[in-house]
Amino acid sequence: MTRPAPLSAVLAELTAGAPTLDEVARRTGLDRDLVEAAVAHLVRLGRVDSSELSTACPDSACGGCPVSACGARGAPASPGRRPVLVALSVRNDRP
Amino acid sequence: MRSRPPGAERAAEPAAEPAAEPVAERVARPAARGCHGDAAGDVPGDGRPVVALVGSPNVGKSSLFNAVTGARRTVGNWAGTSVEVGTGSWRTGDRELAVVDLPGAYSLDPLSPDERLTRDLLVRDTEAEASAGAGTGARTGTGAGHLDLVVVVVSAADLARTLYLAVQVLEHPLPVVLAVTMGDVATRRGIHLDAEALSEELGVPVVPVDPRRGRTGELASVVLQVLDAGQPPRPAPVPGPSPEAPCGDADLAAADRRFTRIAAAVGAATHRSGGSRTGWSDRVDQVATHPVAGPVVFLAVMWVVFQLTTRVAAPVQGFLDGLVSGPVSSGARWVFGALGLGGGAVEGLVVDGLVAGVGMVLTFVPLMTIMFSLLAVLEDSGYLARAAVVTDRLMRAVGLPGKAFLPLIVGFGCNVPAVSATRVLPDARQRLLTVLLVPFTSCSARLTVYVLVASTFFGRHAGDVVFGMYVLSIVMVILTGLLLRSTLLRRLGTEDLVLDLPRYQLPLPRLLVAVTWTRLSAFLRTAGGIIVASVVVIWALSTVQVGGDRSEPVRNSAYGTIAAAASPLFAPAGFGDWHATGALMVGFVAKEAVVASWAQTYATSEPADLRRPGGLGDSLRADFERSSGGHVVPAVLAFLVFLLGYTPCVATLAAQRREIGTRWTLVGIGLQFVLAWTLAVAVFQIGRLIT
Repeated sequence: MTRPAPLSAVLAELTAGAPTLDEVARRTGLDRDLVEAAVAHLVRLGRVDSSELSTACPDSACGGCPVSACGARGAPASPGRRPVLVALSVRNDRP
Repeated sequence: MRSRPPGAERAAEPAAEPAAEPVAERVARPAARGCHGDAAGDVPGDGRPVVALVGSPNVGKSSLFNAVTGARRTVGNWAGTSVEVGTGSWRTGDRELAVVDLPGAYSLDPLSPDERLTRDLLVRDTEAEASAGAGTGARTGTGAGHLDLVVVVVSAADLARTLYLAVQVLEHPLPVVLAVTMGDVATRRGIHLDAEALSEELGVPVVPVDPRRGRTGELASVVLQVLDAGQPPRPAPVPGPSPEAPCGDADLAAADRRFTRIAAAVGAATHRSGGSRTGWSDRVDQVATHPVAGPVVFLAVMWVVFQLTTRVAAPVQGFLDGLVSGPVSSGARWVFGALGLGGGAVEGLVVDGLVAGVGMVLTFVPLMTIMFSLLAVLEDSGYLARAAVVTDRLMRAVGLPGKAFLPLIVGFGCNVPAVSATRVLPDARQRLLTVLLVPFTSCSARLTVYVLVASTFFGRHAGDVVFGMYVLSIVMVILTGLLLRSTLLRRLGTEDLVLDLPRYQLPLPRLLVAVTWTRLSAFLRTAGGIIVASVVVIWALSTVQVGGDRSEPVRNSAYGTIAAAASPLFAPAGFGDWHATGALMVGFVAKEAVVASWAQTYATSEPADLRRPGGLGDSLRADFERSSGGHVVPAVLAFLVFLLGYTPCVATLAAQRREIGTRWTLVGIGLQFVLAWTLAVAVFQIGRLIT
């Protein structure tokens, strides 16, 4: 029986549109921690984009908008806090 | 040469490689330079075996360094770099070892100068030696210019992630000992590590340590044993199925081989209490993100938010209303009277315009504070992320691009940055679709109008009505998306995203206060500017008389005449009144000014009513009663639906024009107006039949 290739399997499920990492773990049969490690490595390899989401503005630098929201991506959690949501997307702009 | 994956920002190659020099001498360099160290000269330049500590960031590597060296650390920049490296002496029995605390690294594929240095020391030097004849095996410590042993520090609590570096190091001819930290954290998470099994899988000694408590276990004896006896050749890395790797990339294939090995090691060496990773956070998620229960929970949570917002804020809001319409307005009039300016145009502008308009919006401060606080609690606790999963699933179910939900979430705060946030979508048609959908997300500026109208007409059910408006907002986004997908934008690519849900956490009060204040002050700043400007414009238009009847000066002013001319358009929706139409015209510019414009025009046209608490509500009730022919409830609901659906503000239009051009912006304006008007008319006409 062929052993699954964890990184490729995770990448394939991300590409196939698995909505959460739990779902990726379920589909691949891999341990959830291993899936997280694989995703972190795919981000390092430039295969997957990762952006921390927040509806809050980290500071009041958003001139002109009434209720902050510095954009969906890139607004990091406050110092010392974990992110509350991370969006991952497979990069399709590779040559 | 390794291929460089696009997007990976690897550390740039230096202009000139530093000449190879013995590691032991380079270890000594920081001390010799005397950089903010506290034990210069602790590490002699030769004669001692050199042990390097490596590991991912935050695995406890530096704690282990402190534990073995007695926290006698010398810190300095590594020769030719700006990377700080700690060095020290490890005395065990009658032996003394030189220890190097290399910068934290997730892997030997460097993305930073720190990682690059670690890679260079571990790989380049040993590869050079290997090519010169030094192989794996007995490498007794002579300090002759190489690392004699590497202690790779991994975390038992995060074994899969931290093992990657270890597996990479094991591919090189270096004697290796694995030190496993954070066993206590792993145990609390229900993870139990079998060090012996891990050792068998990887072919190197594995030693559990607890450096934070100063416990290094058998590490010293194992290190000395390996230094003295050498390390037998390790088995070659287990070949994985990389040739069939879907992307065929060399980096991915190599990484896949390592992850295959990691998966085998983790599987053999760890087991979980209860057999699964599930904790209370995951158990809550099983409900919060459930395909059926998830949306129900989300709706229930939002219902509670709006109930709390409207009910708790109502008494304070009433008190502030009384304050503004009573003592503040009276005081301002008294001042004008005392200055001999009473009854003039300036008094009208200041008292009926600025005081009434700005004062009315200030009464919403308690409400906004409560709502922003509750949303901050939901966000910081991690619940909003679960709500995002529910929403995302809904969008996918109807065929909308998953990534589109990112800007749409932002739209519930403000539409302007939401339009800019559509740039995350790589496909131009997806961007176009999402930009056209953003205006249907109910921004917080519309909330003030919802609350004023709902509390005026629906009393204790105001929270239900406001909640209903937010649900309708989501429905309108989905239905409009489907409409556009089946008409103007049939060819739409798909672009999925995955949401990673960190565990729930207790919100920090300090953070909640900061977030609430940031949002509230930003709202007041922007709303304040818009309101003052609109009040001045309305006042100016109200003073220009275009009709002969002086008994209704505002109705016959330029403002009233324009509003009255447009009002028949809304008669089928039950709110064909010039006050309501005028407010919607002002709302085209900015929704923040709707309430203020009502307060101003009623204060000028019906001053007696507005100079008592609740006077604005009474005036609104009378006008809706008149314009709807007695069907007040459907007319009010129709008004709210129209307010939700038509153009949010000119700032959003400007942002749309920048992103999708003038033509599509005009299409959007028309689409929003037609949908909003059609829905409003439908609500009123159907409501009229059943009430």
